Amino acid sequence: MFLDAVIQILQELFEAALLVSVLLALHQQLATAGRPGAAVPAAWFWVAIAAGSVGSMLYALAMPAVSEWFDYVGQEVTNAVMQLLVIASLFTYCLLLRWPRGFSAGYTLAGGVLLTVIIAFGITREGSEIILYVKGIGDSPTSVTPVLLGGGVAAGIGLSAGILLYFGLLQLPPVWGLRTTLGLLAMFAGNMASQAMLLLNQADWLPATPQVWDSSGLLPEFSIAGQLLYGLVGYEANPSALQVLAYLTAALLIATTPLFRSSWQSAARREGGVTP
Amino acid sequence: MNLRFPPWPLWWSFALLSPVQAAAPELTLVIRDHLFFPATLEVPANQKVRLLVENQDATPEEFESYQLNREKVIPGNSKTVIFIGPLPPGEYPFFGEFYPKTAQGKVVVK
Repeated sequence: MFLDAVIQILQELFEAALLVSVLLALHQQLATAGRPGAAVPAAWFWVAIAAGSVGSMLYALAMPAVSEWFDYVGQEVTNAVMQLLVIASLFTYCLLLRWPRGFSAGYTLAGGVLLTVIIAFGITREGSEIILYVKGIGDSPTSVTPVLLGGGVAAGIGLSAGILLYFGLLQLPPVWGLRTTLGLLAMFAGNMASQAMLLLNQADWLPATPQVWDSSGLLPEFSIAGQLLYGLVGYEANPSALQVLAYLTAALLIATTPLFRSSWQSAARREGGVTP
Repeated sequence: MNLRFPPWPLWWSFALLSPVQAAAPELTLVIRDHLFFPATLEVPANQKVRLLVENQDATPEEFESYQLNREKVIPGNSKTVIFIGPLPPGEYPFFGEFYPKTAQGKVVVK
């Protein structure tokens, strides 16, 4: 029971911990580089995590009702919409951080709201699953202690992974650090887009497309390495064509946001604006 | 300019949509005492199937299958639908992620 609880809770926590730590690293990297992105106060992270926690509880409470929407595929549709919303917000956030003229009240608010949407909707699904799991198991008195202990251990491991990634990213030389952070965010976005397609196919809202590869013999998804890679780069052992396409599209969208910067900077320069 | 009507992308999109609209055969899977009934589901090959999952336990369960690429939370005392396939013949194990010790089953595609 204890080990099951650790694995179950860690699986859900891992992605959320990585997402928050990479966003935090990005914030710190921009602050070090004196970029306008740092103008979004770090306090927004607390707002975002609080919103995500409340969102998780509400979503867990609403789960029985949501499940029945759209002829019993409400869960898939809601989760897919949340993931697509996170990708769109992440894209806008990355663009905003590159905006040459920051430091205004509107900029700060927009950045904070986007950050809240990314983190809150990014952790709501996993968070609600943890709540449902703990609540369900907690009904049988003998499993309360192992599940709570397991949850504690999982939280410890998840948090450690996040901290390790955060400091790891900050250890890198500034330019490479930023590139790696952006690369990770691009892969998170790719993973979310791929999951959204998978969910919509599971709901029968999107057609089945051929499987592109099957590496389950080589590296099973349920192995520790498979799970780690899933959290980091969105590894999947047997993705469909639509998933691969969505992954590449979303990842490219995020990864190319720095390219927009130069065009904005030159536009700002033409207008006589100040560039960072 | 020679315009074809309707343009080919339209036909192509219909071709993409058609498998969605086709009625899928339905199978029922029951969760009771953290077990799946039946534990083995037989499914026709290369055909999409509508799996109706009925959780008769008071506790939630999470249907999970790496081979089927499916994952879905099923609240206690509720039912839900999971579409699977079309699949090539073979065996596709699934399990209940919240009670993996007992909740085990497989889809056999023939």
